[in-house]
Amino acid sequence: MRRQLLPLLFLLPSVGLISFLTLYPLGKLIATSFQNLGAFQLVQHKVVWDGLENYRTIFASGGGLGTSILQTALFVLACVGLTMAVGTGVALLLGRIGKVLRTVVTVCMLFAWAMPTSAAATVWTWLFQQEYGVVNDTLTSLGLNFSNHNWFGSEIGAYSIIVANIAWGAVPFVALMMYSALTLVPRDLYEAAAVDGASATITFRKVTMPIVRPIFVLMTVLSIIWDANVFNQVWYLTQGNAQLLNVVPLGVWQYIEAFSSTQYGLGAAVAVIMILLLVAVTGYYIRLMVRTGQVKAEAKA
Amino acid sequence: MTAPVHMAGTRTARYRYMTWFWRAVAIAFAAITVFPVYWMVQSAFEPNSDIASLAPNFFPVHFTFHNFVDAVHHTAGVGTAYFLDDARNSLLVVASATAITLVFGFLAAAAVSRFRLRGASAFLVLILVVQMVPGTALIIPVFLMLDNLHLTDNYFGLILVYAASTLPFTIWALRGFVRGVPIELEEAAMVDGATRFGAFRRILLPLVLPGVVSAGVFAFITSWNDFLAADVLMQQNNHQTLPVWLYSFTTNTGTDYGGLMAGCTIMALPVVIFFLLVQRRLVSGLTAGAVKG
Repeated sequence: MRRQLLPLLFLLPSVGLISFLTLYPLGKLIATSFQNLGAFQLVQHKVVWDGLENYRTIFASGGGLGTSILQTALFVLACVGLTMAVGTGVALLLGRIGKVLRTVVTVCMLFAWAMPTSAAATVWTWLFQQEYGVVNDTLTSLGLNFSNHNWFGSEIGAYSIIVANIAWGAVPFVALMMYSALTLVPRDLYEAAAVDGASATITFRKVTMPIVRPIFVLMTVLSIIWDANVFNQVWYLTQGNAQLLNVVPLGVWQYIEAFSSTQYGLGAAVAVIMILLLVAVTGYYIRLMVRTGQVKAEAKA
Repeated sequence: MTAPVHMAGTRTARYRYMTWFWRAVAIAFAAITVFPVYWMVQSAFEPNSDIASLAPNFFPVHFTFHNFVDAVHHTAGVGTAYFLDDARNSLLVVASATAITLVFGFLAAAAVSRFRLRGASAFLVLILVVQMVPGTALIIPVFLMLDNLHLTDNYFGLILVYAASTLPFTIWALRGFVRGVPIELEEAAMVDGATRFGAFRRILLPLVLPGVVSAGVFAFITSWNDFLAADVLMQQNNHQTLPVWLYSFTTNTGTDYGGLMAGCTIMALPVVIFFLLVQRRLVSGLTAGAVKG
Protein backbone atom coordinates (compact mmCIF):
# COMPACT_ATOMS: atom_id res chain seq x y z
CA MET A 1 0.00 0.00 0.00
CA ARG A 2 2.64 2.46 1.09
CA ARG A 3 4.76 1.70 -1.95
CA GLN A 4 2.00 2.91 -4.22
CA LEU A 5 1.62 6.19 -2.37
CA LEU A 6 4.75 7.89 -3.70
CA PRO A 7 4.04 7.40 -7.45
CA LEU A 8 0.44 8.47 -6.97
CA LEU A 9 1.65 11.58 -5.22
CA PHE A 10 4.01 12.24 -8.14
CA LEU A 11 1.27 11.74 -10.69
CA LEU A 12 -1.48 13.65 -8.92
CA PRO A 13 -0.51 17.25 -9.86
CA SER A 14 -0.28 16.40 -13.56
CA VAL A 15 -3.46 14.33 -13.60
CA GLY A 16 -5.33 17.09 -11.77
CA LEU A 17 -4.16 19.90 -14.01
CA ILE A 18 -4.65 17.99 -17.26
CA SER A 19 -8.07 16.60 -16.35
CA PHE A 20 -9.22 20.04 -15.30
CA LEU A 21 -7.98 21.99 -18.30
CA THR A 22 -7.83 19.56 -21.21
CA LEU A 23 -9.77 16.34 -20.61
CA TYR A 24 -12.90 18.11 -19.40
CA PRO A 25 -12.91 20.55 -22.36
CA LEU A 26 -12.35 17.55 -24.65
CA GLY A 27 -15.53 15.97 -23.23
CA LYS A 28 -17.34 19.25 -23.78
CA LEU A 29 -16.14 19.32 -27.38
CA ILE A 30 -17.42 15.81 -28.05
CA ALA A 31 -20.77 16.78 -26.52
CA THR A 32 -20.88 19.92 -28.68
CA SER A 33 -20.44 17.80 -31.81
CA PHE A 34 -23.91 16.34 -31.10
CA GLN A 35 -25.48 19.76 -30.66
CA ASN A 36 -26.77 22.47 -32.93
CA LEU A 37 -24.60 25.27 -31.57
CA GLY A 38 -24.36 28.50 -33.53
CA ALA A 39 -23.70 32.04 -32.37
CA PHE A 40 -27.40 32.43 -31.48
CA GLN A 41 -27.56 29.38 -29.22
CA LEU A 42 -24.23 30.37 -27.62
CA VAL A 43 -25.47 33.82 -26.64
CA GLN A 44 -28.80 32.43 -25.44
CA HIS A 45 -27.04 29.68 -23.43
CA LYS A 46 -29.34 27.22 -25.14
CA VAL A 47 -28.48 23.57 -25.54
CA VAL A 48 -30.08 22.05 -28.59
CA TRP A 49 -29.30 18.35 -28.94
CA ASP A 50 -29.14 17.39 -32.54
CA GLY A 51 -28.15 13.74 -32.57
CA LEU A 52 -25.93 12.83 -35.49
CA GLU A 53 -27.10 15.75 -37.61
CA ASN A 54 -23.65 17.43 -37.75
CA TYR A 55 -22.00 14.20 -38.81
CA ARG A 56 -24.71 13.63 -41.41
CA THR A 57 -24.08 17.10 -42.84
CA ILE A 58 -20.36 16.41 -43.11
CA PHE A 59 -20.74 13.04 -44.79
CA ALA A 60 -23.46 14.44 -47.05
CA SER A 61 -21.06 17.08 -48.35
CA GLY A 62 -20.03 14.41 -50.84
CA GLY A 63 -16.46 14.45 -52.03
CA GLY A 64 -15.55 17.32 -49.71
CA LEU A 65 -14.56 15.17 -46.76
CA GLY A 66 -12.78 12.51 -48.81
CA THR A 67 -10.76 15.08 -50.75
CA SER A 68 -9.86 16.91 -47.57
CA ILE A 69 -8.72 13.69 -45.88
CA LEU A 70 -6.58 12.70 -48.86
CA GLN A 71 -5.18 16.22 -49.07
CA THR A 72 -4.38 16.20 -45.36
CA ALA A 73 -2.71 12.79 -45.59
CA LEU A 74 -0.38 13.83 -48.43
CA PHE A 75 0.32 17.15 -46.77
CA VAL A 76 1.14 15.55 -43.41
CA LEU A 77 3.32 12.91 -45.07
CA ALA A 78 5.37 15.61 -46.80
CA CYS A 79 5.70 17.78 -43.68
CA VAL A 80 6.55 14.96 -41.28
CA GLY A 81 8.91 13.19 -43.69
CA LEU A 82 10.88 16.35 -44.34
CA THR A 83 10.90 17.47 -40.70
CA MET A 84 11.99 14.13 -39.23
CA ALA A 85 14.65 13.44 -41.89
CA VAL A 86 16.27 16.86 -41.67
CA GLY A 87 15.79 17.11 -37.90
CA THR A 88 17.47 13.76 -37.21
CA GLY A 89 20.22 14.57 -39.69
CA VAL A 90 20.93 17.88 -37.98
CA ALA A 91 20.93 16.20 -34.55
CA LEU A 92 23.62 13.76 -35.76
CA LEU A 93 25.47 16.64 -37.39
CA LEU A 94 25.52 18.57 -34.10
CA GLY A 95 27.46 15.69 -32.57
CA ARG A 96 30.17 15.91 -35.22
CA ILE A 97 31.05 19.58 -34.98
CA GLY A 98 32.88 21.57 -32.32
CA LYS A 99 31.28 23.23 -29.35
CA VAL A 100 31.42 26.78 -30.68
CA LEU A 101 29.90 25.95 -34.06
CA ARG A 102 27.29 23.78 -32.35
CA THR A 103 26.19 26.71 -30.20
CA VAL A 104 26.05 28.97 -33.27
CA VAL A 105 23.91 26.46 -35.20
CA THR A 106 21.63 25.89 -32.21
CA VAL A 107 21.11 29.60 -31.63
CA CYS A 108 20.30 30.07 -35.35
CA MET A 109 17.72 27.27 -35.05
CA LEU A 110 16.33 28.80 -31.91
CA PHE A 111 15.79 32.14 -33.64
CA ALA A 112 13.83 30.36 -36.37
CA TRP A 113 11.82 28.36 -33.85
CA ALA A 114 11.05 31.44 -31.76
CA MET A 115 9.82 33.49 -34.71
CA PRO A 116 6.04 33.91 -34.41
CA THR A 117 4.30 32.06 -37.26
CA SER A 118 2.49 35.19 -38.42
CA ALA A 119 5.74 37.14 -38.81
CA ALA A 120 7.47 34.16 -40.39
CA ALA A 121 4.68 33.79 -42.93
CA THR A 122 4.90 37.50 -43.78
CA VAL A 123 8.65 37.32 -44.33
CA TRP A 124 8.29 34.15 -46.39
CA THR A 125 5.78 35.79 -48.71
CA TRP A 126 8.30 38.62 -49.22
CA LEU A 127 11.10 36.15 -49.92
CA PHE A 128 9.01 34.25 -52.46
CA GLN A 129 7.44 37.35 -53.99
CA GLN A 130 6.97 36.93 -57.74
CA GLU A 131 8.81 39.91 -59.21
CA TYR A 132 11.29 41.10 -56.59
CA GLY A 133 11.55 38.21 -54.11
CA VAL A 134 15.05 37.22 -53.01
CA VAL A 135 14.46 33.53 -53.79
CA ASN A 136 13.59 34.10 -57.46
CA ASP A 137 16.49 36.56 -57.71
CA THR A 138 18.98 34.10 -56.27
CA LEU A 139 17.77 31.09 -58.26
CA THR A 140 17.89 33.13 -61.47
CA SER A 141 21.41 34.36 -60.80
CA LEU A 142 22.38 30.71 -60.26
CA GLY A 143 21.39 30.12 -63.87
CA LEU A 144 17.92 28.66 -63.26
CA ASN A 145 15.00 30.29 -65.00
CA PHE A 146 12.97 31.50 -62.04
CA SER A 147 12.57 35.15 -62.98
CA ASN A 148 8.96 36.15 -62.46
CA HIS A 149 8.06 32.65 -61.27
CA ASN A 150 4.75 32.76 -59.41
CA TRP A 151 5.09 30.34 -56.48
CA PHE A 152 1.53 30.90 -55.35
CA GLY A 153 0.11 30.46 -58.84
CA SER A 154 -0.46 26.73 -58.48
CA GLU A 155 -1.58 24.46 -55.66
CA ILE A 156 1.65 22.47 -55.91
CA GLY A 157 3.79 25.61 -55.73
CA ALA A 158 1.85 27.10 -52.84
CA TYR A 159 1.79 23.87 -50.87
CA SER A 160 5.53 23.35 -51.45
CA ILE A 161 6.15 26.67 -49.76
CA ILE A 162 3.73 25.90 -46.94
CA VAL A 163 5.43 22.52 -46.37
CA ALA A 164 8.89 24.12 -46.48
CA ASN A 165 7.75 26.81 -44.05
CA ILE A 166 6.33 24.26 -41.61
CA ALA A 167 9.44 22.07 -41.80
CA TRP A 168 11.66 25.14 -41.34
CA GLY A 169 9.76 25.99 -38.18
CA ALA A 170 9.66 22.42 -36.84
CA VAL A 171 13.19 21.16 -37.63
CA PRO A 172 14.82 23.13 -34.78
CA PHE A 173 12.53 21.50 -32.23
CA VAL A 174 13.04 17.98 -33.60
CA ALA A 175 16.79 18.49 -33.96
CA LEU A 176 17.12 19.77 -30.39
CA MET A 177 15.06 16.90 -28.94
CA MET A 178 16.93 14.30 -30.97
CA TYR A 179 20.28 15.81 -30.08
CA SER A 180 19.54 15.71 -26.37
CA ALA A 181 18.29 12.13 -26.79
CA LEU A 182 21.61 11.25 -28.46
CA THR A 183 23.45 12.31 -25.31
CA LEU A 184 21.83 9.28 -23.64
CA VAL A 185 23.89 6.91 -25.80
CA PRO A 186 26.96 5.88 -23.78
CA ARG A 187 30.15 6.70 -25.62
CA ASP A 188 31.69 3.27 -24.92
CA LEU A 189 29.02 1.69 -27.12
CA TYR A 190 30.26 3.73 -30.09
CA GLU A 191 33.83 2.76 -29.30
CA ALA A 192 32.86 -0.90 -29.12
CA ALA A 193 31.03 -0.64 -32.45
CA ALA A 194 34.07 1.04 -34.02
CA VAL A 195 36.37 -1.71 -32.70
CA ASP A 196 34.04 -4.28 -34.24
CA GLY A 197 34.36 -2.43 -37.54
CA ALA A 198 30.66 -1.52 -37.80
CA SER A 199 29.79 0.93 -40.57
CA ALA A 200 28.14 4.26 -39.78
CA THR A 201 24.77 2.96 -40.98
CA ILE A 202 24.97 -0.20 -38.88
CA THR A 203 26.11 1.79 -35.85
CA PHE A 204 23.17 4.16 -36.23
CA ARG A 205 20.65 1.34 -36.63
CA LYS A 206 22.00 -1.03 -33.98
CA VAL A 207 23.55 1.27 -31.37
CA THR A 208 22.00 4.73 -31.62
CA MET A 209 18.45 3.96 -32.71
CA PRO A 210 17.45 1.50 -29.95
CA ILE A 211 18.23 4.15 -27.31
CA VAL A 212 16.77 7.19 -29.05
CA ARG A 213 13.77 5.31 -30.51
CA PRO A 214 11.27 6.36 -27.80
CA ILE A 215 11.99 10.01 -28.53
CA PHE A 216 12.12 9.47 -32.30
CA VAL A 217 8.74 7.70 -32.38
CA LEU A 218 7.25 10.29 -30.03
CA MET A 219 8.45 13.15 -32.23
CA THR A 220 7.09 11.42 -35.34
CA VAL A 221 3.68 10.78 -33.78
CA LEU A 222 3.46 14.33 -32.45
CA SER A 223 4.57 15.78 -35.78
CA ILE A 224 1.79 13.83 -37.50
CA ILE A 225 -0.72 15.15 -34.98
CA TRP A 226 0.48 18.75 -35.04
CA ASP A 227 0.88 18.96 -38.81
CA ALA A 228 -2.60 17.53 -39.38
CA ASN A 229 -3.85 20.32 -37.13
CA VAL A 230 -1.72 23.01 -38.67
CA PHE A 231 -3.62 26.19 -39.24
CA ASN A 232 -1.59 29.40 -38.99
CA GLN A 233 0.89 28.67 -41.77
CA VAL A 234 -1.77 27.61 -44.28
CA TRP A 235 -3.98 30.53 -43.36
CA TYR A 236 -1.33 33.27 -43.53
CA LEU A 237 0.53 31.97 -46.57
CA THR A 238 -2.60 31.58 -48.69
CA GLN A 239 -4.00 34.96 -47.76
CA GLY A 240 -5.09 36.83 -50.84
CA ASN A 241 -5.11 33.54 -52.74
CA ALA A 242 -8.51 32.34 -51.60
CA GLN A 243 -8.89 29.93 -54.52
CA LEU A 244 -6.06 27.87 -53.02
CA LEU A 245 -8.28 27.19 -50.03
CA ASN A 246 -10.62 25.13 -52.21
CA VAL A 247 -8.58 22.20 -51.03
CA VAL A 248 -7.63 22.56 -47.41
CA PRO A 249 -6.21 20.31 -44.71
CA LEU A 250 -8.76 19.23 -42.10
CA GLY A 251 -7.40 21.52 -39.40
CA VAL A 252 -8.21 24.55 -41.52
CA TRP A 253 -11.58 23.15 -42.49
CA GLN A 254 -12.49 22.74 -38.83
CA TYR A 255 -11.64 26.38 -38.21
CA ILE A 256 -13.63 27.63 -41.18
CA GLU A 257 -16.70 25.65 -40.11
CA ALA A 258 -16.47 26.71 -36.48
CA PHE A 259 -15.54 30.37 -36.76
CA SER A 260 -16.11 31.75 -40.24
CA SER A 261 -19.55 30.11 -40.43
CA THR A 262 -20.04 30.21 -36.60
CA GLN A 263 -21.35 26.64 -36.57
CA TYR A 264 -19.53 25.41 -33.50
CA GLY A 265 -21.38 22.09 -33.48
CA LEU A 266 -20.30 21.36 -37.04
CA GLY A 267 -16.73 22.49 -36.29
CA ALA A 268 -16.64 20.23 -33.25
CA ALA A 269 -17.85 17.29 -35.35
CA VAL A 270 -15.01 17.88 -37.85
CA ALA A 271 -12.58 17.97 -34.91
CA VAL A 272 -13.97 14.68 -33.57
CA ILE A 273 -13.68 13.01 -36.99
CA MET A 274 -10.11 14.25 -37.14
CA ILE A 275 -9.31 12.80 -33.71
CA LEU A 276 -10.70 9.42 -34.81
CA LEU A 277 -8.64 9.50 -38.00
CA LEU A 278 -5.48 10.46 -36.11
CA VAL A 279 -6.09 7.71 -33.54
CA ALA A 280 -6.47 5.26 -36.42
CA VAL A 281 -3.24 6.44 -38.06
CA THR A 282 -1.08 6.71 -34.95
CA GLY A 283 -2.81 4.06 -32.79
CA TYR A 284 -0.30 1.35 -33.61
CA TYR A 285 2.65 3.51 -32.58
CA ILE A 286 0.91 4.83 -29.50
CA ARG A 287 0.27 1.24 -28.36
CA LEU A 288 3.85 0.38 -29.11
CA MET A 289 5.13 3.33 -27.11
CA VAL A 290 2.88 2.59 -24.16
CA ARG A 291 3.63 -1.11 -24.14
CA THR A 292 7.42 -0.97 -24.32
CA GLY A 293 7.42 1.28 -21.27
CA GLN A 294 5.07 -1.06 -19.46
CA VAL A 295 7.10 -4.22 -19.98
CA LYS A 296 10.13 -2.57 -18.50
CA ALA A 297 8.22 -1.26 -15.50
CA GLU A 298 6.71 -4.68 -14.83
CA ALA A 299 10.07 -6.40 -15.06
CA LYS A 300 11.55 -4.03 -12.53
CA ALA A 301 8.64 -3.74 -10.13
CA MET B 1 56.86 -0.70 -39.39
CA THR B 2 55.93 2.12 -41.72
CA ALA B 3 52.59 0.68 -42.87
CA PRO B 4 50.60 1.31 -39.65
CA VAL B 5 51.95 4.83 -39.38
CA HIS B 6 51.02 5.48 -42.97
CA MET B 7 47.52 4.08 -42.38
CA ALA B 8 47.09 6.14 -39.27
CA GLY B 9 48.16 9.16 -41.30
CA THR B 10 45.53 8.67 -44.00
CA ARG B 11 42.83 7.97 -41.45
CA THR B 12 43.59 11.26 -39.71
CA ALA B 13 43.61 13.10 -43.02
CA ARG B 14 40.30 11.57 -44.01
CA TYR B 15 38.89 12.38 -40.56
CA ARG B 16 39.97 16.00 -40.90
CA TYR B 17 38.56 16.19 -44.39
CA MET B 18 35.21 14.85 -43.14
CA THR B 19 35.23 17.24 -40.18
CA TRP B 20 35.59 20.19 -42.53
CA PHE B 21 32.82 18.77 -44.69
CA TRP B 22 30.44 18.51 -41.72
CA ARG B 23 31.37 22.02 -40.62
CA ALA B 24 30.50 23.34 -44.08
CA VAL B 25 27.15 21.50 -44.03
CA ALA B 26 26.42 22.91 -40.57
CA ILE B 27 27.22 26.46 -41.64
CA ALA B 28 25.07 26.16 -44.79
CA PHE B 29 22.18 24.76 -42.77
CA ALA B 30 22.49 27.49 -40.14
CA ALA B 31 22.57 30.18 -42.83
CA ILE B 32 19.39 28.89 -44.52
CA THR B 33 17.64 28.47 -41.19
CA VAL B 34 18.46 31.93 -39.92
CA PHE B 35 17.93 33.77 -43.20
CA PRO B 36 14.20 34.56 -42.75
CA VAL B 37 15.04 35.74 -39.23
CA TYR B 38 17.78 37.96 -40.61
CA TRP B 39 15.31 39.34 -43.12
CA MET B 40 12.91 40.18 -40.31
CA VAL B 41 15.64 41.94 -38.30
CA GLN B 42 16.95 43.96 -41.25
CA SER B 43 13.39 45.03 -42.12
CA ALA B 44 13.00 46.19 -38.54
CA PHE B 45 15.84 48.67 -39.14
CA GLU B 46 14.32 50.00 -42.35
CA PRO B 47 11.78 52.79 -42.69
CA ASN B 48 8.34 51.53 -43.71
CA SER B 49 8.70 53.17 -47.13
CA ASP B 50 11.70 50.92 -47.89
CA ILE B 51 9.97 47.76 -46.64
CA ALA B 52 7.01 48.50 -48.89
CA SER B 53 9.21 49.24 -51.90
CA LEU B 54 9.37 46.24 -54.15
CA ALA B 55 13.13 46.04 -54.66
CA PRO B 56 14.50 44.25 -51.59
CA ASN B 57 17.70 45.30 -49.82
CA PHE B 58 20.09 42.85 -48.22
CA PHE B 59 21.13 45.59 -45.80
CA PRO B 60 19.03 48.51 -44.58
CA VAL B 61 19.81 51.47 -46.86
CA HIS B 62 18.19 54.09 -44.64
CA PHE B 63 19.17 52.62 -41.29
CA THR B 64 16.80 53.68 -38.49
CA PHE B 65 15.80 52.85 -34.91
CA HIS B 66 12.46 54.48 -35.54
CA ASN B 67 10.51 51.20 -35.68
CA PHE B 68 11.82 50.07 -32.30
CA VAL B 69 11.06 53.39 -30.62
CA ASP B 70 7.67 53.34 -32.28
CA ALA B 71 6.96 49.74 -31.28
CA VAL B 72 7.76 50.34 -27.63
CA HIS B 73 5.63 53.51 -27.50
CA HIS B 74 2.96 51.97 -29.70
CA THR B 75 -0.47 52.77 -28.26
CA ALA B 76 -2.78 50.73 -30.52
CA GLY B 77 -5.33 53.52 -30.35
CA VAL B 78 -6.01 53.15 -26.62
CA GLY B 79 -3.99 56.13 -25.45
CA THR B 80 -1.39 54.43 -23.27
CA ALA B 81 1.60 52.42 -24.37
CA TYR B 82 1.40 49.04 -22.68
CA PHE B 83 4.49 47.34 -24.06
CA LEU B 84 6.23 47.27 -20.67
CA ASP B 85 3.13 45.88 -18.91
CA ASP B 86 2.72 43.17 -21.52
CA ALA B 87 6.41 42.28 -21.50
CA ARG B 88 6.31 41.89 -17.71
CA ASN B 89 3.11 39.80 -17.94
CA SER B 90 4.64 37.57 -20.60
CA LEU B 91 7.78 36.95 -18.55
CA LEU B 92 5.83 36.28 -15.36
CA VAL B 93 3.25 33.97 -16.94
CA VAL B 94 5.64 32.05 -19.19
CA ALA B 95 8.36 31.57 -16.56
CA SER B 96 5.81 30.30 -14.01
CA ALA B 97 4.11 28.00 -16.52
CA THR B 98 7.44 26.55 -17.65
CA ALA B 99 8.55 25.90 -14.07
CA ILE B 100 5.24 24.19 -13.20
CA THR B 101 5.36 22.06 -16.36
CA LEU B 102 8.90 20.87 -15.71
CA VAL B 103 8.35 19.97 -12.04
CA PHE B 104 4.99 18.26 -12.62
CA GLY B 105 6.25 16.63 -15.82
CA PHE B 106 9.40 15.18 -14.28
CA LEU B 107 7.51 13.75 -11.30
CA ALA B 108 4.84 12.25 -13.55
CA ALA B 109 7.41 10.81 -15.97
CA ALA B 110 9.33 9.23 -13.09
CA ALA B 111 6.09 7.79 -11.68
CA VAL B 112 4.84 6.22 -14.91
CA SER B 113 8.18 4.78 -15.98
CA ARG B 114 9.53 3.54 -12.64
CA PHE B 115 6.36 2.17 -11.00
CA ARG B 116 3.62 -0.15 -12.05
CA LEU B 117 0.50 1.94 -11.85
CA ARG B 118 -2.99 0.92 -12.80
CA GLY B 119 -4.50 3.38 -15.25
CA ALA B 120 -1.16 4.99 -16.11
CA SER B 121 -1.28 3.70 -19.70
CA ALA B 122 -4.80 4.98 -20.19
CA PHE B 123 -3.70 8.35 -18.86
CA LEU B 124 -0.72 8.48 -21.23
CA VAL B 125 -2.91 7.62 -24.22
CA LEU B 126 -5.54 10.18 -23.24
CA ILE B 127 -3.09 13.06 -22.96
CA LEU B 128 -1.75 12.16 -26.40
CA VAL B 129 -5.30 12.16 -27.79
CA VAL B 130 -5.77 15.66 -26.39
CA GLN B 131 -2.89 16.77 -28.62
CA MET B 132 -5.04 15.81 -31.61
CA VAL B 133 -7.62 18.47 -30.85
CA PRO B 134 -7.07 21.84 -32.52
CA GLY B 135 -6.49 24.56 -29.91
CA THR B 136 -9.19 26.66 -31.53
CA ALA B 137 -11.71 23.90 -30.77
CA LEU B 138 -10.75 23.64 -27.08
CA ILE B 139 -10.52 27.28 -26.15
CA ILE B 140 -14.28 27.94 -25.89
CA PRO B 141 -14.97 25.23 -23.26
CA VAL B 142 -11.79 26.29 -21.41
CA PHE B 143 -12.96 29.88 -21.33
CA LEU B 144 -16.45 28.97 -20.06
CA MET B 145 -15.00 26.82 -17.30
CA LEU B 146 -12.40 29.37 -16.13
CA ASP B 147 -15.06 32.06 -16.26
CA ASN B 148 -17.20 30.05 -13.82
CA LEU B 149 -14.23 29.97 -11.45
CA HIS B 150 -13.50 33.70 -11.94
CA LEU B 151 -10.12 32.81 -13.40
CA THR B 152 -10.46 34.78 -16.62
CA ASP B 153 -8.51 38.02 -16.89
CA ASN B 154 -6.34 36.42 -14.22
CA TYR B 155 -2.63 35.60 -14.54
CA PHE B 156 -3.02 32.44 -12.49
CA GLY B 157 -5.65 31.14 -14.92
CA LEU B 158 -3.40 31.78 -17.91
CA ILE B 159 -0.42 30.15 -16.17
CA LEU B 160 -2.52 27.03 -15.53
CA VAL B 161 -3.69 26.93 -19.16
CA TYR B 162 -0.13 27.12 -20.48
CA ALA B 163 1.15 24.55 -17.99
CA ALA B 164 -1.69 22.18 -18.88
CA SER B 165 -1.14 22.57 -22.61
CA THR B 166 2.61 21.90 -22.51
CA LEU B 167 2.47 19.20 -19.84
CA PRO B 168 1.39 16.26 -22.06
CA PHE B 169 4.43 16.68 -24.30
CA THR B 170 6.73 17.17 -21.31
CA ILE B 171 5.51 13.97 -19.64
CA TRP B 172 5.89 11.92 -22.82
CA ALA B 173 9.30 13.35 -23.67
CA LEU B 174 10.71 12.94 -20.17
CA ARG B 175 9.28 9.41 -20.03
CA GLY B 176 11.33 8.68 -23.16
CA PHE B 177 14.44 10.07 -21.51
CA VAL B 178 13.87 8.24 -18.22
CA ARG B 179 13.55 5.00 -20.16
CA GLY B 180 16.98 5.64 -21.64
CA VAL B 181 18.55 5.64 -18.15
CA PRO B 182 19.16 2.17 -16.66
CA ILE B 183 17.23 1.73 -13.41
CA GLU B 184 20.31 -0.01 -11.94
CA LEU B 185 21.86 3.41 -11.30
CA GLU B 186 19.01 4.38 -8.98
CA GLU B 187 18.97 0.95 -7.37
CA ALA B 188 22.67 1.30 -6.61
CA ALA B 189 22.01 4.64 -4.94
CA MET B 190 19.19 3.11 -2.90
CA VAL B 191 21.45 0.27 -1.80
CA ASP B 192 23.80 2.99 -0.62
CA GLY B 193 21.02 4.40 1.54
CA ALA B 194 19.28 6.94 -0.70
CA THR B 195 15.52 7.19 -0.54
CA ARG B 196 13.45 6.63 -3.67
CA PHE B 197 12.91 10.37 -3.98
CA GLY B 198 16.58 11.03 -3.28
CA ALA B 199 17.53 8.62 -6.07
CA PHE B 200 15.21 10.46 -8.48
CA ARG B 201 16.60 13.84 -7.55
CA ARG B 202 20.32 13.02 -7.31
CA ILE B 203 20.70 10.26 -9.91
CA LEU B 204 17.85 10.36 -12.40
CA LEU B 205 17.36 14.12 -12.70
CA PRO B 206 20.98 14.98 -13.62
CA LEU B 207 20.99 12.19 -16.21
CA VAL B 208 17.80 13.33 -17.94
CA LEU B 209 18.67 17.03 -17.59
CA PRO B 210 19.25 17.46 -21.35
CA GLY B 211 15.67 16.25 -21.85
CA VAL B 212 14.40 18.61 -19.16
CA VAL B 213 16.18 21.51 -20.84
CA SER B 214 14.76 20.65 -24.28
CA ALA B 215 11.26 20.24 -22.86
CA GLY B 216 11.74 23.53 -21.01
CA VAL B 217 12.71 25.34 -24.21
CA PHE B 218 9.64 23.81 -25.87
CA ALA B 219 7.33 24.89 -23.04
CA PHE B 220 8.84 28.38 -22.95
CA ILE B 221 8.57 29.04 -26.70
CA THR B 222 5.09 27.49 -27.01
CA SER B 223 3.61 29.67 -24.28
CA TRP B 224 5.71 32.69 -25.21
CA ASN B 225 4.26 32.76 -28.73
CA ASP B 226 0.69 31.80 -27.87
CA PHE B 227 -1.84 34.30 -29.09
CA LEU B 228 -5.15 32.44 -28.82
CA ALA B 229 -5.38 31.70 -25.08
CA ALA B 230 -4.06 35.11 -24.03
CA ASP B 231 -6.41 36.91 -26.40
CA VAL B 232 -9.48 34.94 -25.29
CA LEU B 233 -8.77 34.73 -21.56
CA MET B 234 -7.24 38.11 -20.72
CA GLN B 235 -9.46 41.11 -21.27
CA GLN B 236 -7.70 44.30 -20.25
CA ASN B 237 -4.98 45.71 -22.47
CA ASN B 238 -2.45 45.97 -19.66
CA HIS B 239 -3.12 42.35 -18.69
CA GLN B 240 -2.20 41.03 -22.13
CA THR B 241 0.96 39.28 -23.25
CA LEU B 242 3.37 40.21 -26.04
CA PRO B 243 1.79 38.17 -28.90
CA VAL B 244 -1.47 40.10 -28.38
CA TRP B 245 0.49 43.35 -28.28
CA LEU B 246 2.14 42.25 -31.54
CA TYR B 247 -1.22 41.64 -33.15
CA SER B 248 -2.21 45.29 -32.61
CA PHE B 249 0.26 46.28 -35.36
CA THR B 250 -2.28 44.89 -37.82
CA THR B 251 -5.32 47.13 -38.03
CA ASN B 252 -8.23 47.50 -40.42
CA THR B 253 -6.29 50.13 -42.32
CA GLY B 254 -3.27 47.88 -42.92
CA THR B 255 -0.23 46.44 -41.25
CA ASP B 256 2.63 48.47 -39.79
CA TYR B 257 5.31 46.07 -41.07
CA GLY B 258 8.24 48.01 -39.61
CA GLY B 259 6.64 47.97 -36.17
CA LEU B 260 5.65 44.31 -36.53
CA MET B 261 9.18 43.23 -37.47
CA ALA B 262 10.71 45.35 -34.69
CA GLY B 263 8.21 43.90 -32.24
CA CYS B 264 9.04 40.33 -33.30
CA THR B 265 12.75 41.08 -32.97
CA ILE B 266 12.24 42.37 -29.42
CA MET B 267 10.12 39.30 -28.63
CA ALA B 268 12.78 36.88 -29.83
CA LEU B 269 15.44 38.22 -27.46
CA PRO B 270 14.16 36.73 -24.15
CA VAL B 271 13.83 33.32 -25.82
CA VAL B 272 17.45 33.37 -26.92
CA ILE B 273 18.63 34.69 -23.54
CA PHE B 274 16.68 31.92 -21.80
CA PHE B 275 18.29 29.35 -24.06
CA LEU B 276 21.82 30.71 -23.58
CA LEU B 277 21.29 30.48 -19.81
CA VAL B 278 20.27 26.82 -19.91
CA GLN B 279 22.16 25.51 -22.93
CA ARG B 280 25.21 24.30 -20.96
CA ARG B 281 22.89 21.67 -19.48
CA LEU B 282 21.98 20.35 -22.90
CA VAL B 283 24.91 17.98 -22.80
CA SER B 284 24.99 16.07 -19.57
CA GLY B 285 28.38 14.47 -20.05
CA LEU B 286 27.50 12.30 -17.07
CA THR B 287 26.23 9.47 -19.21
CA ALA B 288 29.59 8.70 -20.73
CA GLY B 289 31.06 5.88 -18.74
CA ALA B 290 28.28 5.82 -16.13
CA VAL B 291 26.81 2.61 -17.48
CA LYS B 292 29.76 0.23 -17.72
CA GLY B 293 28.85 -3.42 -18.08
